[in-house]
Order: sequence, then C-alpha cells, then structure tokens
Amino acid sequence: MLLKTNKLMKAFGGLKAINKVDFELPANEIRGIIGPNGSGKSTFFNLVSGVYEPDPGSYIEFDGKDITNEPPHKVGELGLARTFQLLRLYQDMSVINNVMSGYHTLVPYNFIDAVTGRKKIWDQEKVIKEEMMELLSFVGLADYAELNASELSGGQRRLLVLARAIAGKPKLLMLDEPAAGLSPVNVDNLMKILMRLKEKYGLTLIIIEHILKVVMDTCSKVTVLDHGEKIAEGAPSQIKDDNAVIEAYLGKKMDDEEMRKALAV
Amino acid sequence: MKKINIIFSSLLLAASLLVTSIAQAKDIKIGVSFRMLSDVGYKHGELIQDTVAEWNSSGGINGKKVDLILYNDECKSEKGVANATKLAYQDNVHVIIGSSCSSVTLPMVPVITKAKVPQIIPHSTSSKITLQGSEWIFRVPVSSRFYKIVQAKFTAENAGTKIAHIYVPDQASMDFSKSMIAYVKDEYGVDPVYEAQAGEKETDFRSYLLKAKATNPDALVCSGLVDETVRCLVQSYEVGIPKSVARVANSVASKVEVPTNAGKAAVGVSYAAAFAASDTRPIAKKFVKHIKSRYGVVPGHDFSQMEDLLTMLKPALEKAEKRFSGDLASDRKAVRDSIAGITNFTGLASGPISFCAAGTPECRDGNRTPVMIEYTKGGKNWKTKVAGTVTFNASAGL
Amino acid sequence: MDKFKEIIRQYPFLGFIIAFIILMLIPSVFFTDLYQSHLASLICINIIVAAGLNIVKGFCGQVTVGHVGIYAVGSYTAGCMFLYLGSSLWLTLPAAILIAGLFGVAFAIPSFRLEGPYLALATLGGGEAIRLFIENGDFFMSTYGISNISQPVIFGVPFDTPDKYYYIAMPVMLIAIYFSFSVLRSSVGRAFMAVREDPISAAASGINVKKHKMLAFVLSAMFAGGAGAVYAHLPPGYIHPNNYTVIEMVTFLAMVVFGGLGHIWGGIIGAIIITIVYDLTRPLYEYQLFIFGLTIVFTILFMPKGIGGFIDKYFIDRRFKTKTGAMSK
Ligand SMILES: Nc1ncnc2c1ncn2[C@@H]1O[C@H](COP(=O)(O)OP(=O)(O)OP(=O)(O)O)[C@@H](O)[C@H]1O
Ligand SMILES: [Mg+2]
Repeated sequence: MLLKTNKLMKAFGGLKAINKVDFELPANEIRGIIGPNGSGKSTFFNLVSGVYEPDPGSYIEFDGKDITNEPPHKVGELGLARTFQLLRLYQDMSVINNVMSGYHTLVPYNFIDAVTGRKKIWDQEKVIKEEMMELLSFVGLADYAELNASELSGGQRRLLVLARAIAGKPKLLMLDEPAAGLSPVNVDNLMKILMRLKEKYGLTLIIIEHILKVVMDTCSKVTVLDHGEKIAEGAPSQIKDDNAVIEAYLGKKMDDEEMRKALAV
Repeated sequence: MKKINIIFSSLLLAASLLVTSIAQAKDIKIGVSFRMLSDVGYKHGELIQDTVAEWNSSGGINGKKVDLILYNDECKSEKGVANATKLAYQDNVHVIIGSSCSSVTLPMVPVITKAKVPQIIPHSTSSKITLQGSEWIFRVPVSSRFYKIVQAKFTAENAGTKIAHIYVPDQASMDFSKSMIAYVKDEYGVDPVYEAQAGEKETDFRSYLLKAKATNPDALVCSGLVDETVRCLVQSYEVGIPKSVARVANSVASKVEVPTNAGKAAVGVSYAAAFAASDTRPIAKKFVKHIKSRYGVVPGHDFSQMEDLLTMLKPALEKAEKRFSGDLASDRKAVRDSIAGITNFTGLASGPISFCAAGTPECRDGNRTPVMIEYTKGGKNWKTKVAGTVTFNASAGL
Repeated sequence: MDKFKEIIRQYPFLGFIIAFIILMLIPSVFFTDLYQSHLASLICINIIVAAGLNIVKGFCGQVTVGHVGIYAVGSYTAGCMFLYLGSSLWLTLPAAILIAGLFGVAFAIPSFRLEGPYLALATLGGGEAIRLFIENGDFFMSTYGISNISQPVIFGVPFDTPDKYYYIAMPVMLIAIYFSFSVLRSSVGRAFMAVREDPISAAASGINVKKHKMLAFVLSAMFAGGAGAVYAHLPPGYIHPNNYTVIEMVTFLAMVVFGGLGHIWGGIIGAIIITIVYDLTRPLYEYQLFIFGLTIVFTILFMPKGIGGFIDKYFIDRRFKTKTGAMSK
C-alpha cells in the first residue's frame, strides 16, 4: 500500500471532523473522495499531509513509513504532494518561480553551495528551469512564466497549482477540488492534462471533487465520507447505486432523469 | 538622442554649480552643525541666522559677505561626523560651529583636526573633547572638569570645610561625594566630619542625619537622585539641623522637582550653571529681554553660549580676514590663530573667556567661571538668585 | 547585450569582478572631495544592512524592527574588541558577523509563533533592549562612546581617511551583495519567498518553514553585524548608542521599501537613493522628516513594490507583450 490510515481521527472541539477512518490506497490507482460539504474531505487531506495533527490513536503510513506525527515538510519530502481547496498560490511570485519552488526537495545543491554561489549551482539551476519550463508548456502556461501568479485567470491558477504540486515528482498527488469553478470545457481540458501527467510521471492520485462526472469518469475507485465517517467505498458504478451514499450525498434517491442531470453537470 | 540631452543638461548643471561655487569662494563661510530637533533647537538656528544676517547687512566681515551653512546633527555622532566632513571638504568653510552633544563633538574633533578646520563649540561640556589635544578646537561653555568640583570649591569657600556627606549607592551620587571629598582633602587637607552611604532604596535618612548633626558641620551634602535628595533635605530640618548649616546637593538640584517637592527645604540649595536668566548684570538683562521678545522663550545657557560664541567670533574673523591669502588652508589657519588670540572676552558668561595657542585643555577650555544659582523660595512658585561665581585656574580638575 | 547578460548569468563572479573594477575607479574619475568618499562608504554600509534586511523582510516576509539592534551588536563587538583587545577590522569583522548571527537566532525564535504586527513588536522590543543594555553599561563606554577605533593597515598604509576607507567598505559591500545575490537567486531564495507567500503550501512542497525563517534571520543578522563593524571602524572610528535608535531602523526600512521589498536589487537601490537624497536635503533639516515620511507614504501608495518592482514590471510587461503579440500574429 502506498497510503494507509488506521482509525484516523480528528475532533475540533466536540465536532468529529474525521472519525475512525481506515483507508488504503495501492500505488498507481486514481481514487476519488466524495461527500457532502463539511463531511471531512479536506480535513482528511490535512491530516495525511501533516497540516493538522491527528488525534491520539490514529495511524498514517505512507510508502511504508509511519508519518502519523511528521511535520508537513517531512511528508512533502517523502513524496506526498497536494493541492489546496483555496489554491494557496504564491501570488506575488512569478509563475516559473511558483513551479520551481515545488521542485524544492529535489534541488541537488545545499545551502552552503547556494550562499557561496558556486558555478555548479547555476548550471543546475539552468537545468531545473528548463525542466520546469517544460512542465509549464505541458500545462499550457509557458508564455506566462515571467508574470506574477496573481495575474493569471482562475483556470490558469488551477493549472499552476497542479504544475507546482507535480514539480517535486511526488509518488502520491492529492487534489482538493481541482476543477471547482471551471467551465465544462475547462474541466475537460484540466482532466485531459491531468491524465497525461499521470501517464508521464506515473502518479498515484487522490481527487476530492464535487463534480460527479469527473469522479465517475476518471476514478477507478471512490471513497465516500459523511460526517467524518467512511460510509462507502467501491467502483464508481457501485457507489452510484449505493443507497447510503445517495441519501447522504443527494439527500434523497434520484430518479434516472435527475441522476443524468447531476452527472452531466 | 534623449540620453545625450540628459547627459548634456546635467553637464551644464554641474558646470553652472561649479561657476557659482567659484564665485562664492570669496565669501567667508561658516558651517554649523548642532542639534536642532525641538522648537528651541530651531530657535538656536534662527539666532545664528539672524545674527549673521545682521553682520551682512552692516558690512559683513571687512566688507566680505558671510555664508552660513546650517546642518542638523540630531545629537547623533554619525550625522555630526558626516556634517563635519561635508563642511570641511565639500563646503570648504573657514570655521565650524558645533556641536550640542558631547557624544557628537567628540568624534568631530579628529575629523576637523585632520582637515585642519577650526571648530568652536557652543554647548558640549565633556572634558574629554579638549583632552584630545587638537589645536583646532575651542570651547565656549564651561568644561565638565570644572563642574565636577565647583560645588566643592564653592562650599569650602563660602560655608566652610567641616562637611558631612550622605549619599546613596547610585554611581553618579557616589562619584559626586567622593570627588568633593577628594577636592577638599587636596586643597585644604581636611577630611569630612561625617560620611555615610545609605542603603539601596532607603528613604529614611534620619538616623544618618542625627549622627551628622552631632558633628556640628558647616555644610551638609545630600547626594542622591531627585527623590532621595528631596527626602534628605526635608528630613534634615525634621531632625533639627539648623538653617545656618549650608545644604548642598549634586547636579540634580537643577531639576525643577527639587524646589517643587522639597518646598522650604530647598531654600539655600545651589547648583552650578553657565548662565542664569535671573542674572542682574545689564548685559544679561538686555539679552534675556531681547531673546524673549524675538523668539518667545526665556534663554538658557545654550542661547547665551551661542550668543557669546558669535560675539567673539566676529572680531576674530575680522582680524583673520586681514591675513587672508585666498588659499583656504592658510585662511583657516589664520582664523584658528585669530580665535586662539581671544583673551578676556567678557560677554554673557559669568567670567572672562580666554584662549591660547596650544592645543591643550588649559588653552582651549576658555570659560573657567561657572555661576552658582541658589533657590530663594521653594514650592510650586520657586525662585532663584545668583549666589555667586567660582573661578578656576586653567589646570583645575585635570 | 543579451549574450553579455547570458555570460554574466553563467559566471556571476565575472559580473562582480567588473563591478569591483568600476567601483574602484569611481573615486578617481568622479569624486572631487573627501566627503564624497565618506558618503560613498556610508552608502556601502547602508547597502549591506538594507540588502540583509531585504532577505528577511522582503524575501522571507518576516517583519523585523529590531535589526538596528543587531547592527549595534556588530558595531559594539568591533568597538569592544578594539577597546579591550586592540583588534583590527580583520578580526572584528568576522567576529561581529558571527556574534550578530547568534543574535539572529534569538530574533528568529519569535517568528516561529508570531506574525505581522506582533512580530514587529517583539523584534522592536529586542532591538531596543540591546540599545538600552549598551546605553547603561560602563563596559560599553556608553556616555562618551568608544573613540578612535582603528582603521585597517594594508602593506603599511593606514586606511584612515574617508577616501581610503572607501576601498575597505566597498569590497565588503560587494562581497555582501555577492552572497545576497547567490542566496536569493538559488532555491533558498525561492523557498524564502514561498514561506513569505504561504507557509502552509510551502511546507506541503517540502520546504522546512522554521528552518528557512531561521536562515533568513541569521543571514540578514550577519549582514547587519558586518555593516555595524565596518561602521565602527569608519574614520574617525567612533560609536555611540544614539546612532542605533528606532529612527535609524525606520531609515533602513525606508531604504528597502523604497528600493523594492523582495526585489533582488531592492535594498541596494534604496540605500543608494535614500542616502544621497538625505545628504542633498541636509540644509532643509526642518523638513527632512516630513520629506521622508511623504516619500514612504507615496511609495507605498503608488509604487508598492518600490523602484525595483516598478522597473521590473516595465520590462516584464514589455517582454510579455512582445511574446503574446507575436503569438496573436
Ligand atoms: N481548523 C478547523 N477548526 C475547526 N473546525 C474545522 C477546521 N477545519 C475543518 N473544520 C470543520 O471540520 C468539518 C469538516 O471540514 P472539511 O473542510 O474537511 O469539509 P469538506 O468535506 O472538505 O467540505 P467542502 O466540501 O465544503 O470542502 C467542518 O465542519 C469544518 O467546519
Ligand atoms: Mg473541502
């Protein structure tokens, strides 16, 4: 298993945001996580990536290592990358620098090299930059490389956070609502790029998404959270018909017509 | 094309600046650097500007116009050093006036000495300044080496040498008593009749005062910070030390809290100063009135010293100008020698001011006569009078 | 021109050697009096402090109002080593840099928990505490300052006049700039910016936020300490606590803000312009504070990224336009 959680728990005051979630993800899978607003999806990401500290009794394992109480940068170093629901772009940095700072853990020189400004590091920087420019071309942002990230459109920003997360060549990439707020055409475009990136870098993915069509089309398996608990898990086709899921997510059972609408988005 | 225009016009500007500076080279230039931060600070600046404007309107220095260059040093040595360097090397002044704070004047001295520009000090008192041995520095105010022993001399001469000391364990308070004791011992060969160091934070001095009283002293020294000084003075009357025994405090006595809080007990307590607005000499009265009407403030010693400085500088410049050759270095030397030739200048200072040629404190601490000011009434509406002056010989306190 | 730029980028050291030669020649070509050398040395010192401040404030985004205290630490390390051990600049400079670096560690610790105005207050307190400590110690000769701190002697030539001392201050400044450029252009500089922009997503990229805050504080403290030592030895070699107050701190900050916070040239441009403008307005002392206040307000209102950001924007916009313009054709 690439990622494993055992009795993962997090309470905010009396609110159990994540309640005893066991989760297993083999390498190379694309996993979807769905659930109503406030069901604990983002909290799950925050716990796994070390942003929040899990409650005692929890266990998280990534790539065979116990990361339960590791700080976020350690988790990042181990090859677990993520995006944020609120993007958290580096607004006041150029697009290329945004991506290049995602490469941080792979930089081959150390701090002393940096301070002394040895020639070797400039050669290495050049290679890094070329590689990152390639990544930018891949997501279609190469022309904007020198611009400030704050000058990008909403859709471009989503591509940029994606590029930044991939820059560090992670083993696992967790995306928190990557397509939120995009027009249908752009959603398609983003998903196409994402699939190509997965091919190229051999990524394992976890995607939180409210747009059901995206989840149904791309994920091989879906985990459903509700009130912090895992209420179902299975292939998209199975999940679609799971009564508990339908109740939790949609509030009522939909007829075929409604279901078609929901999935078409 | 545009670039060429910019280069050309800046060259033109530089050339015209050069021409004007050559044209001005014939004037006599005075550079000033001192603290002009507060309202009063600016008024010191105005005093200089007004005085020099008066000189210029009445024919200048032997017909030559005086250019005044005024900089603020904010009492910061970094600025003072920069000002001195600028005045010496860029503004090419003949003489520098400055500065207020000793910590600014101190590093200016090596600068002007290297540049060979005479400097005359309006306010700084630290004895270290003239101890550096520069031939280019002159001081108008009374040096701290005189202030340090003035109470000792004044008390011994006017009250007597049977002195009782009570001091608190604060460094400045102890230093004051110790140096006073040393002075009386050196000059008169007499030890204090009583000496006591109060405990830390002690507020009741009566046990010490009673013991002091028993020795029948000529004078009682209460050396502490403001609060302790006030308590000691008040308690000295409570234990019945008679009025005839002179009460002496250290320099904190000049703070308004002392007469205000000590009330009647402050009467007779004196402190040393360079100038008193209550000075009754006609020259002082006229000056006080003039400053009050023109600048709206009662002048303190800083105004009077600046006035004295300017008054003695003008004839010195006139004398030097006659020997000007147009070569800046030799003209500066002429100004220096001319200032060094000032003897027995009488102005607002309580005694005559004299300089001489050597770069020693004896020659350059020209003012050796602090004035003693005494409280004649305590409480909120406290009053003072001039109690007398103390004149030192040139090497006193070294 | 582009080729030249490329070469400089490839061999940054070459650029500094060229800059060094030009700066060596400047006095003999342009300077007409010793004061200009004195001013040039002051500019060099201010550049070192401002470049350091730019690392921690501009790049790493950590507010510090205590830097002047570390500058004082540098000065007093040099001053006291001279006073008690008779050390020369060659010894006091590295010592000052080292000790200032230790103070940088102390200043970094509050930044782990505090942000913005709270961090500003904490660092302000730290800086003032240092000044008050110096001001009240006989060991530091607080009342009358430490005088006649020696100037270095090279091959028997004492560098004790403003024109000569420039050749001491300038190379130190160049070395400092070299270090600052090296760091800021590397992955460490990018990590600083990432920490400034968003520490949470920086951490997600594997950037150790605390470590980089610490690095930024220590590095910039070392700059301030070095500058403090160079200042202490500046002829006539005099230091006094009055030169390390909040007003000096505001001036340093003004340099970085005006030059461009987070712009690699920011502190340098700012230090040069502010020092020169301050000098030119010396006779206008009554309005100086007003002029400076106004400059800062206008900069923040109309050029929030300072001169550096303004220039950058101009060039990047032009490049971007030609690129996208070519595309639309
Ligand atoms: N830092 C926090 N402090 C307190 N409560 C929190 C915190 N973070 C999350 N919560 C609470 O935990 C619950 C789960 O939130 P979470 O953000 O994980 O939901 P989500 O499934 O991502 O929802 P959405 O689909 O709206 O993004 C919510 O009730 C939320 O208010
Ligand atoms: Mg969420």
